[in-house]
Amino acid sequence: MSEAKAAPDCSADSQQDAQRKAALLEELRSAIGQTTGAPLPARDAVNQAMIRHWSDAMTDFNPCYIDPDFAAKSIHGEVVAPPAMLNAWTMAGLHPPASLQGRGVDTYAKLDAAGYTSVVATNSEHDYVRYLKLGETLHHSTKLTEVSEEKATALGTGHFVTTVTEYTNDAGEVVGAMTFRILKFRPGTGRMAASAESAAPAKPRPIRPKPGISRDTGFFWDGIAQGELRIQKCDCGALHHPPMVRCPKCGTYDLGWIVASGRGKVYSHVEPVHPKIPSFDYPLIVGLIELEEGTRLLSNVIDIEDEFVEIGMDVELAIQECNGVELPVFRPARPARREDTLHFEDVAVGDRMAPCPIPITPTLIVSTAIASRDYQDVHHDRDLAIKRGSPDIFMNILTSSGLSSRYATDWAGPEAVLKNLRIRLGVPNYPYDTMTMYGEVADKGAVTNGRGPVTLKIRGTNRMGHHLTGSIDLELPSNAA
Amino acid sequence: MTMEFAGKTAIAGIGATEFSKNSERSTLRLAIECAEAAIRDAGLEPNQIDGMVNFTVEDNPEIEVARNLGIKQLTHFSRIHHSGGAACGTIHQAAMAVHSGACNYCLVFRAFNERSETRFGIGVQDRPATANSADVDFGWSSPFGLLTPASWVAMFARRYMHEYGATSEDFGRVAVADRKHAATNPEAFFYERPITLKEHQESRWIVKPLHLLDCCQESDGGQAFVVTTLERAKDLAQPPAVIASAAMGSGEDQQMMKSYYRDEITGIPEMGIVAQQLWRDTGLCADDIQTAVIYDHFTPLVLPQLEEFGFCKPGEGKDFVKDGNIELGGRLPINPNGGQLGEAYIHGMNGIAEGVRQVRGTSVNQVPDAENVLVTAGTAVPTSALILNRGNA
Repeated sequence: MSEAKAAPDCSADSQQDAQRKAALLEELRSAIGQTTGAPLPARDAVNQAMIRHWSDAMTDFNPCYIDPDFAAKSIHGEVVAPPAMLNAWTMAGLHPPASLQGRGVDTYAKLDAAGYTSVVATNSEHDYVRYLKLGETLHHSTKLTEVSEEKATALGTGHFVTTVTEYTNDAGEVVGAMTFRILKFRPGTGRMAASAESAAPAKPRPIRPKPGISRDTGFFWDGIAQGELRIQKCDCGALHHPPMVRCPKCGTYDLGWIVASGRGKVYSHVEPVHPKIPSFDYPLIVGLIELEEGTRLLSNVIDIEDEFVEIGMDVELAIQECNGVELPVFRPARPARREDTLHFEDVAVGDRMAPCPIPITPTLIVSTAIASRDYQDVHHDRDLAIKRGSPDIFMNILTSSGLSSRYATDWAGPEAVLKNLRIRLGVPNYPYDTMTMYGEVADKGAVTNGRGPVTLKIRGTNRMGHHLTGSIDLELPSNAA
Repeated sequence: MTMEFAGKTAIAGIGATEFSKNSERSTLRLAIECAEAAIRDAGLEPNQIDGMVNFTVEDNPEIEVARNLGIKQLTHFSRIHHSGGAACGTIHQAAMAVHSGACNYCLVFRAFNERSETRFGIGVQDRPATANSADVDFGWSSPFGLLTPASWVAMFARRYMHEYGATSEDFGRVAVADRKHAATNPEAFFYERPITLKEHQESRWIVKPLHLLDCCQESDGGQAFVVTTLERAKDLAQPPAVIASAAMGSGEDQQMMKSYYRDEITGIPEMGIVAQQLWRDTGLCADDIQTAVIYDHFTPLVLPQLEEFGFCKPGEGKDFVKDGNIELGGRLPINPNGGQLGEAYIHGMNGIAEGVRQVRGTSVNQVPDAENVLVTAGTAVPTSALILNRGNA
């Protein structure tokens, strides 16, 4: 009967709680439709220096952004800003002047006050009316459009808040828009936090089989320890792998080695499925790699799903620790940036974009956050990120957009024109992971004015799952033009 | 140069245990049982055996087998290396031994509990990493998770598919033929259990691109033979299965299961070396072979074997295996016993026994007018093969 006695108290608590929450939600929702007022100017006009920082940080070397000569002859006629920079121009910066402060949507402040102090961006939908040119000053005005009920998510309990921002130029011309959704949540209330606390101490992981190393093959593994891949080479010019004691071509016992470039191609590949060996992570891809120098090497192909591995695929060396053993492994090379632009007729629905692995380094996370003028501490300060309940710093959403844009135009060519870019975020990109971008042509429209619309479906997948899923509409020149 | 024993030696006796997933007895017991059966089949007494040949990977020492059989003296004993590649090599060695006079009646055997005790399919991840040459060799593959025979073969298979446009279904036709033959062989583990190509395609992945039904069974059992000179064999209980020739082969830049560093990896050069010797010694060609036992630990490497022996051109194995060509009644019925996918995996030795039965005319899946029978041994390793017939007499 003690349960029955306890129940009314509990119910009273939860009733109060529910009332409080309902009141908060009502207050928050009362602001729906309100804007931040007259369009607020960006701190700086669109300028080459910020574009160059962005281009470097994202390694997006589309010449329309950074090469005036190329840009002049391009469809744009002059240098344009990367479209995904849209909301970077209007970010407040690290120490904004008083005139630019306090003009944000105050929903965030109210949620902070109610204990929903953590924030994570979940959706970004850009619409590009046209690309921005050097010297233009962007203005922005943001409208609150949606506040969700309180929801329990993996990160924590909180509200999704959606805003729509309109971007205009000095003349009041609308040049773009962004729908942005964030989750404001109570730190420490999510499954992720709970599982981190309750997780049993990790069992010692069985290490992978170690290589047998002899006097004749030690040079190879010494090289791996020093971060280089060595190939045995004879003075007669012959390369040997696996290493030999005597060169069968010229007879010498005096064999040296060279350092391989690390570039190669997949010669064959398999995916062991059964039995699963505890010292390995699955899925596992074993590749026979033909090195640029000519010898072959068995290795792993990492950061790519099996169905995308192809014989002949370009791969690049990464020497890394694999469950206790330092090994040379390979990941697909970043696809070369396309220098001419695909024509509308060159692509068909179902075409796959070559997968593009992006190693997530702390430098990438920090440099792209700063290049996008995002000074949230969780994107550059590990100590503070950890204090806020994150295992490490993580990539900001502007970078997820920027890398998606890069993936699209590296594939389609510099004069592909993005009309929109919509992404939804899943698991974070933490340092030392790799996000591999995958994409395919999902739809094609009708050619008008010599340009044809193409829809790409994209995703960026890291070791924990999908970091981003989304779509991009872009226009390609038509042969009929 | 021809091999002097060719046509002058014979398999005079065959004997086997039952093939199972759990023999419930020691491998020594299996060895003794199959050896005695082979000796009795030949019409000999155990103490007439004076030579013995087996695999280096065989667990049962010659001396222990001799003790149990009551063999009083052995004047020749030797072993052949490279796992399944040794199968026909043991007969080759025994033929050389009896022809040279090193011994008169040579016992050849292989016995193991490969399913119930020591499974090859579980992987070599626990192999020590020492500086000896074999461990160093595994060091180029094991740290990356290429640990099982299926995975080693799959690497060849993927490249073969890429170069020749072969498909998983082409490999599947080998499995379908084997299981069709096993279905009518009461000694086969898969007796009365044929499969369809669809079942092959739907079977689970072992190592992509290999399905479960591309992989042979793991089996317990023993298989033995008695080899002697043709002259002696004529006086024994069974019609001699004449060793028209037997040959061994290892090719350039040969590796154990992983000869991945050659210019091309779609052929089996070591099997080509074997084939050339057999055709040279016998004066036969592919057209003279009525049935063949083609080593089938994994289906993909059956195709390039057919190519190396000249049953078809390189890359055309995928076409040759179509349309029931390799099934009973086809151009070249292979593995009438069901092969290692259908009957049992006894390291290729049960295939040699089927070769003997085809020559004797006693197989349950007898190929009519089986005059010359080809038997091959393990692929992706240094290997061997032989041709059996009834001799010129």
